[in-house]
Amino acid sequence: MTVELVEAIADMRDDEAVPLAERLLEEGTSPLDVLGACREAMGIVGQRFEEGEYFVPELILAGEMLREISELVKPLMEAAGDVTKHGRIVLGTVAGDIHDIGKDIVFFMLDVNGFEVHDLGVDVPVTTFVDKVRELQPQVLALSGFLTLSYDAMKETVSALADAGVRDGLKIMIGGGTVDEQVQAYAGADAFGSDAMAAVTLAKQWVGAA
Amino acid sequence: MTSTERSPTAPVPATGTAGGHGPGAAVRLPDYEEVFADPERVVPDALVADAAQPLPERSGARAERLRTASELGQPDRVPVFIGAGYLVTEMGGVTRRQAYDDPDLALRLLLRAADYYQPDAISGPWHHPGPSEALGDRSTRWPGYGLGPDGSFQYAEAEFMKADDYDDFLEDPTDWALRTYLPRVFEKLEPLATLPHFGMASFGYYNLFHLAPMASPGMLEAAIALGEAGRAQKAFTENAVRASQELVAHGFSAPPRYNFIVEAPFDYMSDTLRGMKGIFLDLRQRPDKLLAAQQKALRIQLRAARDYRDRLGGAAVFIPLHRGSDGFMSLKQFDGFYWPQFEELMLGLIDSGITPWVFYEGVWDQRLEYLTRLPAGKSVGLFQNSDIFRVKEIVGDTMCIMGGMPVSLLRSGSREQIREHTHEVCERVGRGGGLIMSTSVRELESCDPVRVRAWTDATREFGVY
Repeated sequence: MTVELVEAIADMRDDEAVPLAERLLEEGTSPLDVLGACREAMGIVGQRFEEGEYFVPELILAGEMLREISELVKPLMEAAGDVTKHGRIVLGTVAGDIHDIGKDIVFFMLDVNGFEVHDLGVDVPVTTFVDKVRELQPQVLALSGFLTLSYDAMKETVSALADAGVRDGLKIMIGGGTVDEQVQAYAGADAFGSDAMAAVTLAKQWVGAA
Repeated sequence: MTSTERSPTAPVPATGTAGGHGPGAAVRLPDYEEVFADPERVVPDALVADAAQPLPERSGARAERLRTASELGQPDRVPVFIGAGYLVTEMGGVTRRQAYDDPDLALRLLLRAADYYQPDAISGPWHHPGPSEALGDRSTRWPGYGLGPDGSFQYAEAEFMKADDYDDFLEDPTDWALRTYLPRVFEKLEPLATLPHFGMASFGYYNLFHLAPMASPGMLEAAIALGEAGRAQKAFTENAVRASQELVAHGFSAPPRYNFIVEAPFDYMSDTLRGMKGIFLDLRQRPDKLLAAQQKALRIQLRAARDYRDRLGGAAVFIPLHRGSDGFMSLKQFDGFYWPQFEELMLGLIDSGITPWVFYEGVWDQRLEYLTRLPAGKSVGLFQNSDIFRVKEIVGDTMCIMGGMPVSLLRSGSREQIREHTHEVCERVGRGGGLIMSTSVRELESCDPVRVRAWTDATREFGVY
């Protein structure tokens, strides 16, 4: 039955997926197995995205299905215990920039791919990034920005992390709008990505969870 | 989607006369040649020749250069358009807010930047917070309105139209906009929600029976706010006209007049109405309604653009394309939901004698072939991150190409890299004409003015036909 759920989500049959999840839970399938099916489905969705079959509409629809299924599962989860995460990632849109669409999609894709993601929101001051990196000790920091102004905020954030002595061992990825290789070099980041799956691929490489 | 600070009242810019003795006169601007000195600079021959020309001829030649290129012709050399944006305030050492509040200062900043770069045309910040402030706009953030005095204008996309609103929108988009949409977007227009259905306006005398809500204090405030917004916009437009005239008097071409904005019908439904998440769910969950709504958006915009042409003699419109680029949707989705409606808009505008200046945001590499279906020489394409050399190859015979210099390179590249890239763009994209050299976006904030001039100089050095 969970196979059917995997297929319904992966094939974008949203009118079937959520009722199916509901039925599975009613019939005694463990919430962890339902979430496992969701994760498996998202693996397929991500693969189809990388292969150019799926695009942003499908990521968003998958996100909606997962959101609805999570709401069904959540009340049942307390007894089930925690899920192990691949690694910890801090994410945010840099200072001066309030764009959140790209960041939110990246958050979602990292989250469903098993990372513990801390989203600091938009227009995040440099000092907040430094404080949070110090506090949470993530393996990866993901900086988002749409404005060309964000190149400087990214650069400042990266160098502030170095000044604070928390840059070593931290992998930094940047993305959004007009970010490219040139900006990556300018900001001193370790990599850039042009879509949400690139963020997942990078994060997996970096934490060795391929 | 929260606004952090908001100024209580909207400062309405003054409209001073040319020359200007407004508050701007009090701000001392530095000597740009001194502050942004460039010992390595070699003034290109083309600029030396320009300088020898009397101002009216120089301005005429620059306008002609832009016109010829925009119609796919080959001018004497590649024209340069600088979408400087907030760079003009940075060069003057003033805050963005100061420039918004002081139109004389804004004009001086623009002229000083123009003098420094000697472009064919230049634009600074191209819109104004006044109307948004007057109306309590929840969809934009400006320097001094939702942002610090040196913030960057940003559009804050939200789902102002809900999925459930489609039926009302399709039934009567104007009534829906007036009573549902505007109150959601503009704080000061909330009282419009209390009014009776506007479809009944054609009921004439009998509709007066329903006018009581007009007497509410809120409605009066809304009317005052609308008046303020109108005044702010009028002042801004007059200042823009004055800036154009002054630029011409100083030997430059007026910037292309394309401030009337329409959008691809898909983007019209997405940008200000459904937001990206909403529109992409619609694409999968209610495709028929989305398509029907796009037809409305198409007809409304064509009508509005023709009205604009008739009332103001506007012969050009600006079309920023957002969600149709590579990566957002599949080619199949593009074929069904984006391209046909956009193409119909383009053909309708062109048939009406209006030239669309289209910003192909993001990357269009996978769908450039579609653009070849547009009539040749009737539109201008501003390309952001597409492979500009492929753009030339594929659409070079269809439309004038504007762009060529990525802001990321201008921001962080070395002088040599910038010159090399400019050279290549002049040679390959400029071949045979039809190129207006410009940057990937019309905003050069935080760029080093010396590097920017290295680029504009290089264009004059390598772009001579």
